[in-house]
Amino acid sequence: MDVRAIDLSATTGTSRLHGASPVTKLVAFGLMLAAVVVQQNLFVVLACLLALASLAVGMRLPLRHVLGLAAYPGLFAVVFALAAAPDLLTGALFVVRAMAAALAAIVLVFVTPYPQVFAPLQRVLPEIVGDALLMTYRSLFLLAEKFERLRIAIRLRSGLTRGHPVRAASATAGALGSLVLYAFDLSQREYDVMRLRGYEGHLRVTLPRAADPRFDAALLASAGVVLGTAVVFRAAGAVLTPWSWLLAAAALLALLATIAGRLISR
Amino acid sequence: MSHIHIPDGVLPLWLVAAGWLAALALVWLASARAKRADVRRKVPLLGVVAALVLVAMSTEIVPVAYHVNLTVVAGVLLGPWLGAIAAFIVVIMLALLGHGGVTVIGLNTLMIATEMALGWGLFRLLARALGRRHVGWAAALATIVTLAITTTMLVGLVALAGGGAATGRETGALDPRSLTFANPLSGGVVSVNTLRGAEATPATAPLSVARFAAVVYTLGPIGWLIEALITAAVLAYVARVRPGLVFGTVLMEPVRGPLGDQGVR
Repeated sequence: MDVRAIDLSATTGTSRLHGASPVTKLVAFGLMLAAVVVQQNLFVVLACLLALASLAVGMRLPLRHVLGLAAYPGLFAVVFALAAAPDLLTGALFVVRAMAAALAAIVLVFVTPYPQVFAPLQRVLPEIVGDALLMTYRSLFLLAEKFERLRIAIRLRSGLTRGHPVRAASATAGALGSLVLYAFDLSQREYDVMRLRGYEGHLRVTLPRAADPRFDAALLASAGVVLGTAVVFRAAGAVLTPWSWLLAAAALLALLATIAGRLISR
Repeated sequence: MSHIHIPDGVLPLWLVAAGWLAALALVWLASARAKRADVRRKVPLLGVVAALVLVAMSTEIVPVAYHVNLTVVAGVLLGPWLGAIAAFIVVIMLALLGHGGVTVIGLNTLMIATEMALGWGLFRLLARALGRRHVGWAAALATIVTLAITTTMLVGLVALAGGGAATGRETGALDPRSLTFANPLSGGVVSVNTLRGAEATPATAPLSVARFAAVVYTLGPIGWLIEALITAAVLAYVARVRPGLVFGTVLMEPVRGPLGDQGVR
């Protein structure tokens, strides 16, 4: 997981989705997630996945990272489906559902900086949890960079080589041990810095306003329509089931059109 | 087993909701206990250890494609209460990266918090029994026992979901027996399947708990072993360099300052 790529996209992106209010994006994410979870029809869930992929393409998110991260839970879902699903189609539903839910979360973090995602959570969680969430985010970059340097140093000394798992595990463990010590020193330094800055047990994050309130309204309405469709298909499955493939086909066409539009505008 | 890789929408609603309620109660309780100590000092420590677990989880052991978890190390360093808060933070961050579902954040928190608390308790017990010279063995044994217990918890979770799991599915116009598409418009727009579905009742079958258990108990021990080796190496290294971080008050020898520095703090 490359957190730096996510942070770069979230903080420097200029799409309309980047400019939307974080609260709107969180609510829209919740509605999409509910749509994916509530639905049992493979084609409706597939339509959600394709619609989210269209959004990622349309907003010019870094697709290599986005699709890579979305595929990761898909792999675990394949293992789970092979291990526990009663039949092939249920297994396929597990995989598509996992990827759609993951893609919704990934699109959210690629267009919203983490502190803004955490800010609404901070208001409902105990102070220590909210503050520690922000400190985790900050420390993650520092530790990831430090660990990367340690790994390069080990690789240069031939500690990480394919075909020598024991040596690789031992070298990784040594690097992680050094990282633990570095982490403790880091926490002490951060504590000193926070005290000097007058930290009294509550970090504050201000939430930006929406760049275009009409876009926010459209985003919420779209997510609401997706959830409404999912609920209607669930409730009236007997009637609507034969038509469900049309949703997936329409979402696929939308994705192809978005890709074509992006290629033409390039 | 660390976090459960069960996708969103598979476990029944009651189980997911119970997981959320129990996890939130645990986090609130842990926060209340943490407030008794110096919270301002705890926040950076919590953040750093949670970040450490996240960095470890993004680290792949090159030839075997296994990612380390370091949950036992985090448990030993933080203790059970702060460990519960760190578990919640790690799971939220992972869910936002698509790694582990959002709806299973509660259950994942309980799983990782149990791992940290068990790892902490077992390590202290074994370190006391085996002595300071065998920190690596204590860490390895604690890790293996902890992971075996939490893997069994995971199997229990799937068994608990059982027939109530969201395995119902509708296949739309796809015939699951022949895997061919039916045309819903073949009988005309009015008369057709707008009023009668091809598969009126969704198929529902229970999750295969036996097959799931067979898979996790076959693959699991490989992961337990790798995790145990790495946890042992990391804790042994830290115990050599900074014993105070690992032992806390257990087996801690009195620190002696350099001659002439008595009374200087």
